[in-house]
Amino acid sequence: MASWVESVFEFLFKYRPLLYERGEFSLGVSWPLILAGVVAVVLAVPTVLCYRDVRGKSSARDRLVLTGLRTAALLLVLFCLFRPSLSLSTVVPQRSFVGILLDDSRSMQIADVENEPRGRFIQDTFGPEGSALAKALSDKFIVRFFRFSETAQRLNDPAALTFAGARTHLARSLIRSAEELSNVPLAGLIVMSDGADNSNAAISDTLLELQARKVPVYTVGLGRERFTKDIEISRVEAPRSVLVGSSLIVDVTISQRGFNGETVRLDVEDDGRIVSSREVELSSEATTVRIHFTAADPGARIFRFRVATKEGEMVSQNNQRDQLIYVEDERPKILYFEGEPRYEVKFIRRAVADDENLQVVCLLRTAENKYYRIDIDDPEELASGFPKTREELFKYRGLILGSIEASHFTHDQLRMIADFVSQRGGGLLVLGGRLALSEGGYAGTPVADVLPVVLSPAKERSEAEELAGPAFFSTLTVKPTPFGATHPVTQFGPDLDASSERWATLPPLSTLNDVTAVKPGATTLLTGSGPGVDEQPVLVFQRYGRGKSIAFTVNDSWLWQMHHDMPLEDMTHELLWRKLLRWLVSYVPQQVSISAEKHRYAPGESVSLLAETDDDRFLKVNNAQVTATVRTPSGERFDVPMEWTVDKDGEYRGNFLPREKGIYEITVSAMRDGVELGTARAFTESQDLDDEYFQAEMRMALLERVAHETGGRFYTPDTVARLPEDMTYAEGGMTVREQHDLWDMPFIFLMLVGLVGSEWGYRKLRGLA
Amino acid sequence: MSPTLKKRLFLALAAVVVMSLAVPIGASFLQGFDVPYENHAYNGRFTFVRVKFEPTQWGRGPYQWGLDLKWNHDYPQAERNLMTILKHHTSISPNMGKSNIYALDDPELFRYPWAYLCEVGFWNPTKAEAESLRTYLLKGGFLVVDDFITEWQWFNYVEQMRKVMPDYQLVELDVSHPIFNSFFYIETLDFEHPTLPGYQPVYYGIFEDNDPKKRLMVIANYNHDIGDYWEWSGSGWVPIDISNEAFKLGVNYVVYGMTH
Repeated sequence: MASWVESVFEFLFKYRPLLYERGEFSLGVSWPLILAGVVAVVLAVPTVLCYRDVRGKSSARDRLVLTGLRTAALLLVLFCLFRPSLSLSTVVPQRSFVGILLDDSRSMQIADVENEPRGRFIQDTFGPEGSALAKALSDKFIVRFFRFSETAQRLNDPAALTFAGARTHLARSLIRSAEELSNVPLAGLIVMSDGADNSNAAISDTLLELQARKVPVYTVGLGRERFTKDIEISRVEAPRSVLVGSSLIVDVTISQRGFNGETVRLDVEDDGRIVSSREVELSSEATTVRIHFTAADPGARIFRFRVATKEGEMVSQNNQRDQLIYVEDERPKILYFEGEPRYEVKFIRRAVADDENLQVVCLLRTAENKYYRIDIDDPEELASGFPKTREELFKYRGLILGSIEASHFTHDQLRMIADFVSQRGGGLLVLGGRLALSEGGYAGTPVADVLPVVLSPAKERSEAEELAGPAFFSTLTVKPTPFGATHPVTQFGPDLDASSERWATLPPLSTLNDVTAVKPGATTLLTGSGPGVDEQPVLVFQRYGRGKSIAFTVNDSWLWQMHHDMPLEDMTHELLWRKLLRWLVSYVPQQVSISAEKHRYAPGESVSLLAETDDDRFLKVNNAQVTATVRTPSGERFDVPMEWTVDKDGEYRGNFLPREKGIYEITVSAMRDGVELGTARAFTESQDLDDEYFQAEMRMALLERVAHETGGRFYTPDTVARLPEDMTYAEGGMTVREQHDLWDMPFIFLMLVGLVGSEWGYRKLRGLA
Repeated sequence: MSPTLKKRLFLALAAVVVMSLAVPIGASFLQGFDVPYENHAYNGRFTFVRVKFEPTQWGRGPYQWGLDLKWNHDYPQAERNLMTILKHHTSISPNMGKSNIYALDDPELFRYPWAYLCEVGFWNPTKAEAESLRTYLLKGGFLVVDDFITEWQWFNYVEQMRKVMPDYQLVELDVSHPIFNSFFYIETLDFEHPTLPGYQPVYYGIFEDNDPKKRLMVIANYNHDIGDYWEWSGSGWVPIDISNEAFKLGVNYVVYGMTH
């Protein structure tokens, strides 16, 4: 309610609306007297009726109006005689406690109100010179101070506040202070804060608990609800780990206030070196842009996303965000099974030959039951053709199926390929070709379930038809879909315009597969059109179980290398295949994996570790001995035992407390029956967090909700003067019932004068006086 | 008119007729050997591609179109027979009965990363052809060079290839190179020339980046003519064993060229 409305209300009705909300209406007379009053009214009625028949100059309408006004005035007087009053619980002075929670986090240093920091209000109110508010509170209540950021702590002297807390956990702080005051008559809690909670914890349960304890929370919002000028990197979406040399595309959201339409430069820094930049036009309050860069150096790298501070910004610390990315120097192995010698084999191998972080093992069927193996690790590898056991197949992280018909496999092998994706979490890439997809007879097989495209039964072909040419052939001009235009695999060049230009100049390819539809959950990155073919899906993927499947339905992507129109130095084909195969094996789980819950922890915050273990068939293992070895930034090592969670198969958890700032390396190993299941590595960082400077505008909605749901009220520094009085009429603490008369409120007097005056005026108007 | 005069007039007329026929034929050769053949449209399958060129010598001969254009030796039966062998012995499904002919500077050649060039003793590529072949090879194309003997033909090949790949070396290959095991396991390279006994075949390669561990871009069968074996394999004129070896080489060249 606006303050002037509240003032008018208080003038007319003697008390503020809050008292009416909290009080109970009552009459200050005994019931027999009320009864006598009722009898008096009943007797008055016949009297009125007698006057009804009086004639003269008056009309029936005049009599009715005059009788009504006179009766109303009499009833109003009668109402006052009954002594109406408001019954309110009132705190007994100095017998109830109040907890005052003062926000001690860094965001209180933000100077967004008349160039003064938010914390200044707290210092002024509870400083040594004192204030009317502090005096009023201490007159009525026994005051207990708390400082809060990560949690609440008792505070003897508010002058000791430093406003240096790295995080704000409002829910935890409320509960902590309510618990500490649980043994005293508590009138309520006062929270003085900007409400910039960054704990990501739900507050609903806390509010229910405070309701149950009957602890009203009075919140005082400090700071601006909306900055006048600010730029913030509000979100960075990047993978936790990538292969070294991978091209990353990271989504960065930039929020702004007061810079609409201006252009800023977004930089990505790796160890202080700018690895990528792009201009961003701030066309709305939040703009999400994609930025490319290459993770060139292996190890735990901290990438900084930064926009230079502009003049007039209220917070400069939120112009950058750091992201820890583990750049893995691994060489994941991909099995490429091709059913016939064809140029795709040659050119795919060439495209990735110089990529030290990809190993493509090629199994080529050169004739029936005759295989040519390329880039194998040992003479036994794939010696009898395509793997016949899960252990053998699941060693690979990616599987490419070329032009190889479904009937080449046993049903168990087809099931195994499907399990490779769903159970093992591997990446399956199916290429177009004479014997692939529908034309390869995969419809109705377990592999068809995995694929992102819809297959149809293969048509029978005679020997003569087969000799005459392919069952289906069409050239395809390939272009990216809107999603593909910004996908890491299919975006070429630094921005969309450069990528679109590149795609427009690529020569057409061809397909031997009639693919018309994709599965409902699939995403199409590339489509192709040509004579008789309208929008054939060319590059499609979908998640399936733990893994992903991709269909690349063209027969000759090598033309993007070999075609006469392609310049010799052009790297489109190489880049496409490197990115495609890196994507194929990205996020593919290994037998043992480890991850920290967050990539960054505040000093003193416990690091929560999660490990998952599988056997070589990728079945969950619950009886493994799992140990995480932590290497601290200073090189010290210690072990963290990991315990099976019981809730979930193969899942183990452990915790450790970082004692120093810096990057922690966590290596986990799992053993079962003396046999090692595998090892894995992850990184996390313990560092001063700058979360306080993000989304740092005063969160009035949250503070209002906290007050409203607990029975308190929300105030600003302009309205907080009423807080002591409002708390006086609270239910909590040591209270007594008080009666507050209502008969003498100005409204009744004005009503009475109005009614009598109206009667007189009416008589004068009608000539009846 | 005296018989002598009649005879002279007849000879003169005959000479005019012969000249009027011969000059256009010769002119057409000089303009690019516009002999009739049909190239088949690209359909995604393996197609045997023969490289045509303007030879340093030409004439009539027992070859296709009754002409000895050098590059047309063994055409078309050699490729037809090799495709039949590929079809029956490998999982490749080549275009049967269809083979294409391209000049080295024809953009269409780049749709076919495997090509066959013979009689390089008479090869003298233009600058455009040499540059195009260089691009073709560096992009990923594979060239089989066949049917040349004697030192002068070798020197011509070396000289012409220097125009194409001036920084590249010709490296003699032995049987241990993967190309000789890409499909058939070839134990020896000790064959005889099909028509000229006494010539010992030698295999020379050009490697990517001049590195013998890397991709072989060109293989040249010096003192050899495996195309001849392919052509005459069904005639009974050449020994079956050696024909088989020639086919093995051909199949291996195709498999290697498609996979390396």
